[in-house]
Amino acid sequence: MSSYFDLTSGLWKWSSPVWLLVLSLVGLYIIFHHRALGKRIVFFAFAMFALALAYVSPIGVLSDGYLFSAHVIQHLILLLIVPLFLLLSLSESETEALFRHPFMNRLGSVMAVPFVGWLSGLGVMWFWHVPSFCNASTENYALGVFRDATFLLAGLAFWWPIFSPLKRFHLSSSLAVIYLFSACLGCTLLGIYITFTVISVCPAFANPVDRLGIMHFLYDQGMTPATDQRLGGLLMWVPPCSLYVCAIMVVLKRWYAEMDQLTSPQTAGTTSSLREAQS
Amino acid sequence: MTTGSVEQSELTSLEPPVTSTLLLDWVSTLDHKRIGIMYILTAVFYLAIGGFEALLMRIQLAFPNNTFLSPEMFNQLFTMHGTTMVFLVGMPVLTGFANYFVPLMVGARDVAFPRLNAFGFWMLFFGGLLLHFSFLTGSAPNAGWFSYVPLSSKAYSSLQGVDYWIIGLLIMGIGTVSGAINILATIICLRAPGMSLQRVPLFVWMMLMQAILIILALPALNSALAMLLIDRWLGSAFFDPTRGGSAVLWQHYFWIFGHPEVYILILPGFGMISEVIPVFSRKPIYGYTFVAASSVAIVLLGYGVWAHHMFAVGLGMYADIFFAVGSLLIAIPTGIKVFNWTATLWGGEINFNTALHFAVAFLLQFVIGGLTGIMFAAVPIDWQLTDTYFVVAHFHYVLIGGLVFALFSATYYWFPKMSGRMLNERLGILQFWLWVLGFNMTFMVQHFLGMMGMPRRVYTYADNPGWALLNGIASLGAVFMAVGTLVFLWNIGASLLRGKIAGDNPWDAFTLEWATTSPPPPENFTVIPEIKSRRPVWDMNHPENADWKTEKTPADRGIRPNLAKLAAWAFIASEAVFFLLLLIAYVIFNTRSGEGAVTSSVLDVTRTGIFSLFLISSSVTFWIAERFLRAGKQSAFVFSLGLTILLGITFLAGQVWEYAGLLTNDITINTNLFSATFFTVTGFHGIHVTAGVIALFVMLMMGIKGNLTADKSHVFGAVGVYWHFVDVVWLAVFGIIYLGLLQ
Repeated sequence: MSSYFDLTSGLWKWSSPVWLLVLSLVGLYIIFHHRALGKRIVFFAFAMFALALAYVSPIGVLSDGYLFSAHVIQHLILLLIVPLFLLLSLSESETEALFRHPFMNRLGSVMAVPFVGWLSGLGVMWFWHVPSFCNASTENYALGVFRDATFLLAGLAFWWPIFSPLKRFHLSSSLAVIYLFSACLGCTLLGIYITFTVISVCPAFANPVDRLGIMHFLYDQGMTPATDQRLGGLLMWVPPCSLYVCAIMVVLKRWYAEMDQLTSPQTAGTTSSLREAQS
Repeated sequence: MTTGSVEQSELTSLEPPVTSTLLLDWVSTLDHKRIGIMYILTAVFYLAIGGFEALLMRIQLAFPNNTFLSPEMFNQLFTMHGTTMVFLVGMPVLTGFANYFVPLMVGARDVAFPRLNAFGFWMLFFGGLLLHFSFLTGSAPNAGWFSYVPLSSKAYSSLQGVDYWIIGLLIMGIGTVSGAINILATIICLRAPGMSLQRVPLFVWMMLMQAILIILALPALNSALAMLLIDRWLGSAFFDPTRGGSAVLWQHYFWIFGHPEVYILILPGFGMISEVIPVFSRKPIYGYTFVAASSVAIVLLGYGVWAHHMFAVGLGMYADIFFAVGSLLIAIPTGIKVFNWTATLWGGEINFNTALHFAVAFLLQFVIGGLTGIMFAAVPIDWQLTDTYFVVAHFHYVLIGGLVFALFSATYYWFPKMSGRMLNERLGILQFWLWVLGFNMTFMVQHFLGMMGMPRRVYTYADNPGWALLNGIASLGAVFMAVGTLVFLWNIGASLLRGKIAGDNPWDAFTLEWATTSPPPPENFTVIPEIKSRRPVWDMNHPENADWKTEKTPADRGIRPNLAKLAAWAFIASEAVFFLLLLIAYVIFNTRSGEGAVTSSVLDVTRTGIFSLFLISSSVTFWIAERFLRAGKQSAFVFSLGLTILLGITFLAGQVWEYAGLLTNDITINTNLFSATFFTVTGFHGIHVTAGVIALFVMLMMGIKGNLTADKSHVFGAVGVYWHFVDVVWLAVFGIIYLGLLQ
């Protein structure tokens, strides 16, 4: 086993079925967003690249029963990175055309309810790390596919109130900050729990079946099951929070640029006595 | 309603201000300005004590092998110096400035809750007295300002010093959180019309960030203090490794509070500098948006990097890497601000007076403190330098070179507003140079001493090459600072008596506090200027160059949340952190294998489940009562509320039943870690339910007497926020403790 970057090694799985999903999404994007330009195409390309990377690269191969930390990276890519960049790749006008349909508009409104997005994003994070569910989804292929699908959908729901292409679905700035900060708190708690608990969160990773003959390679690098779980917990904790802090900065940037009610006389152009102001 | 700009002459009072008043007026005051001054005076009083303690230590360390102080006394002095300077000087002086200036700067008559404000001050005052009363017992706290266990446990600190430290800090903590809720509510709810949150002065914004930090960080200290107190008084073993506890847990909890505490202290300093530099550069601040938004990033990141104080503990390589990266990240928003302030000065019409002298020194010295902070984020450097004088030099560059210089700058800037008189510039410059020289003499050399390996917190040192000279310089510097402080106090005293009359706006400054008299009248303003930008007083005085004509800022949408509900939400946010940390302690201690005979199997889950239903039902009946109140159906309201109280009491009776059963089976709080965590979590929850029942009972009495009617339903709603919170906490407690989730 030479290195993670040897593209011909067993750590890379070029025959992954994820290509089918990538091709389908590319097709849909071309059909519905054929007029997309510049950075939106870059965002979409990045989303597809991240999606493929999550399965084709060593992240995907090692998360299949070898390393809990790789599983967490895959999980974060599917839950936070791919949906985020998919939403950023959508243009407002073409999405608006899609969401003119009453059903879609209703769907968008439901997803814009903060509780729905927050619970989806945090819910899947916590749910799939209950030891029995984590184990079952690692050992059962179909359940694993289902889990990954829930990550993608929950990620879309989570980011929708913040980065929906349609501004009418955005949360107010203060709520958005609380939404993201509390999400950070949620994944911090899970991360702390996984990092410091003495129980095995996902027992399937504690005794891996060495299909590819790489266990020695991993152990030589210090990736014993206990270290692996601690690393997984830290990955669950720090990168998402960093991402949420960046998102909060974007929200604040928008907030400081809110000029729609600029200096209108009725809101800002009057001076009043303080007693009146506070009565 | 008065419209249009206000004539400056109408507001100007050139008469000398009346300064004498009765003692009773002061101790019973609810005026935010007087309470602010009392906070500042309290801080100055303790600054004298903490400074005197520092001088004693520097005398001891001036020569090698000195015997001026005993080791025991030295331990007590560095502990009390640190505790005093952080909790009784740094935090109160900032609360004092916030109390005085935040309402003025947002155009409010007073803070949101004047009585709560007075309560907060007196809690701090008596908490500080209690802490210092320990000297009279002959055993002041001596385990360092962060009181690491096991040193602070009963086995190693058997006298009462640590107990005084815990109780004193808990009492002061209550005052601090109440003060923070007050400032938060004032900024969110009482801003004058036109002042959107995007237009508030940066000092106000920083105080808002500080309030959020206090509300969310201080409970971590309180939970740790509660557990340490239970360890010491009731014999539990939270922090006793010999009985399964964890000494490292104390460090985690202390620094979850302790690291944000650094930002609690320095963010207001940033705010002060952001007011002073623009005024004396005659320019708006460069990059307001960045300065404000980056402070939000600091608040958020500040919670996530506490473990960089624990690199020497042995957290493991990956944990070290992540916390190191986090700590480096936080340097970005902090560091770029320095460029904002520098860019504000750049090309400005500089008025290089004492206030700006201190502000510029702040910039230079804070950069040094920040850079050594970045050095500590590198784990190997931390391992090498931890617990040496390099650390002492680092945090004094942040807290004195940064915060104290910002405070002096702010004092020279705002003193005219508070007193109506100017401070003497010549004395100010003299004080400045005494402080710059003294501070850098004392602490710059400590970098070298630390690199040479001189350990902190050791009462003396051997006559190693160079150590005596460097320590002598450090001690001499402390004398310079002491003399500088005396010059400052003389300046204040002399200026109060004979200082030049200031007028309303001697600096031609920009923000609302300068639109009223100096000192301001009890009601603060007669009229307030039109607010259409971030510099309303500039706009008023220079209409031809008004900011709003050239720079667009988001207008005020007039959204002001209900005061009572906002305060209730802020309070429960603080309480949530407290319970969260207690529950984390439960999970940590009860997922370990090999615990003693008592486990959660001794609990009657079904019975408690039934009693839990009573508590949950009480939330429903409360909700119904609230609806009846809003609809004006008074008798139905009283009935529903009575039922709510009854359900709450029934739940408490169930808890008493459960406790009685456990106690008769000899399962007490000191039996093992399960019982310690169980009784602590459920006990604190029980206390909260009891407090809630009392609050509901008060509401019931008001309802019966007809004093609580539909128009006051928001007050009842605020109590509801608390009551529902108590129920939600119980759901978590029941899930984790009784159903064993996460185990």
